[in-house]
Amino acid sequence: MKQTPKLDRIQRLMQPGVISKEGFLGNDTRKLADIIEDDQRLVASLGLTHEMIADVMEEITDAGRETFGSPKMVGKFLKVTVEGSMGKIASPFGGLYNKENITVLNIETNESITWTTLNIHMIRDHGFYQGKGSCYRIEPKNIAKIFKLKQMI
Amino acid sequence: MAVLTTTTIITAIGVFLAGLLTLAERFLLNYGICKIVVNGEKTYEIKGGNHLLGSLQQHDIFIPSACGGRGTCGLCKVAVLEGGGPLLPTETPYLTAEEIENHFRLSCQVRVRNDLNILIPEELFSIREYHAKVIRIKDLTYDTKYLSLGLAEGETVDFVAGQYIQLMIPTYGKVKEEVYRAYSVASPQTLKTQIDLIIRRVPQGISTTYVFDYLKEGDSITFNGPYGDFFLRDNSREIIYIAGGSGLGPIKSMLHKMAEEGIDRKATFFFGCVSGKDLYFVDEMKEFEDRVPKFKFVPALSNPEANDGWQGETGLITEVVDRHIKEDGEYEAYLCGSPGMIDASIKVLKSKGIPEEHIFFDKF
Repeated sequence: MKQTPKLDRIQRLMQPGVISKEGFLGNDTRKLADIIEDDQRLVASLGLTHEMIADVMEEITDAGRETFGSPKMVGKFLKVTVEGSMGKIASPFGGLYNKENITVLNIETNESITWTTLNIHMIRDHGFYQGKGSCYRIEPKNIAKIFKLKQMI
Repeated sequence: MAVLTTTTIITAIGVFLAGLLTLAERFLLNYGICKIVVNGEKTYEIKGGNHLLGSLQQHDIFIPSACGGRGTCGLCKVAVLEGGGPLLPTETPYLTAEEIENHFRLSCQVRVRNDLNILIPEELFSIREYHAKVIRIKDLTYDTKYLSLGLAEGETVDFVAGQYIQLMIPTYGKVKEEVYRAYSVASPQTLKTQIDLIIRRVPQGISTTYVFDYLKEGDSITFNGPYGDFFLRDNSREIIYIAGGSGLGPIKSMLHKMAEEGIDRKATFFFGCVSGKDLYFVDEMKEFEDRVPKFKFVPALSNPEANDGWQGETGLITEVVDRHIKEDGEYEAYLCGSPGMIDASIKVLKSKGIPEEHIFFDKF
């Protein structure tokens, strides 16, 4: 994948303090094209696609959104909390998204994962899981756990 | 090694040429004085070369924008009828087909290189920039603050209860450029030398991190406004207020208006929180029950904790509203909160026969 001028511009918007306080890249110094390509390989090696991952995240988010910040059990093991704020956040790729923090806790293993509505869009539409070290990076390996969790729903 | 060296050289040349182009545009290209005709009535003369958003600001015309003109929020739309040049790829993600057909552009992306003919909503002419000092910062809950801003000597602000302002967040820490964020005014519209805001912390939020971790009493701060058409309509319908979190702010301002103007319409305020630690201003709202003749405050907890000792309404705020209001009543509803809460509330209100045109909410 080639780092185009468009990706350069998007990567500038991902820097800390531009759209969000900490940005989207963490301590990752790779080019955006390389981050996306490396994650694409990882996702494929897990037998998944960006769309499959985003679908599951969205399904869990939609279920949790119904309780406006109160935890909600989804299936037997997943406790989902969706905390919404007023206002919108811009995607570095374009478009505005609701400010929502989604926390999913597996009450059996006590493992949890947190994402935002923006994560879902960036994964589905751009295959971007955020840079290494970013507090909202979704590790493709951890996604496999979500799928395992999903099977319990 | 040779590939790395070649790549480095090519990248360096590219960066050098891009820099040269930027400098050339800045210092060599002279667009002279350009005329901006606004709404076919007013003409402003500005030095060409800058973006439309900033050029209008120089003439005290403030177009709403949350990102400080970096093309990431998509809010600063204006209709550019003539002279805007071709639509840029940085604009298209934020514009609908209908907006493109009607010549809408992002004013932060349109560079003024020649005369322009633009259309903006008339109400934007009344928006001004204000300089204030932080009079008081008070904790309302673990994640919500009450901010009081006193205007500079001699300055006054005119707004209608329910409207919002845009707070300018200066550079700090890793934030290298100013940003603007919208907050509803919580104070009475008759208090013209001060505005109060209710601000809830957003994880990783540029603006709320500044307010919570950097801003101190006595600091200077700038805002512009007022904006929005979220205000109390003048009729006799029974009022339903629904809010969650910091959404209480504009409702509080509207209640001040009802109290001060002696508005005696029946009104109920449903305030939804998760547990007792999220609840605030209960005493203030109870005071409004004494000051506004037919007003009732209904706080509700969706997930009360054992130590809350909660005796009030429980359940999701939408369930509480559903239990309290009757079908096909003559209601008018004002909603403020997260998009999820607003969407769910609209669904319940419509199921009760309240027409969409009687339901108002803030879209920012």
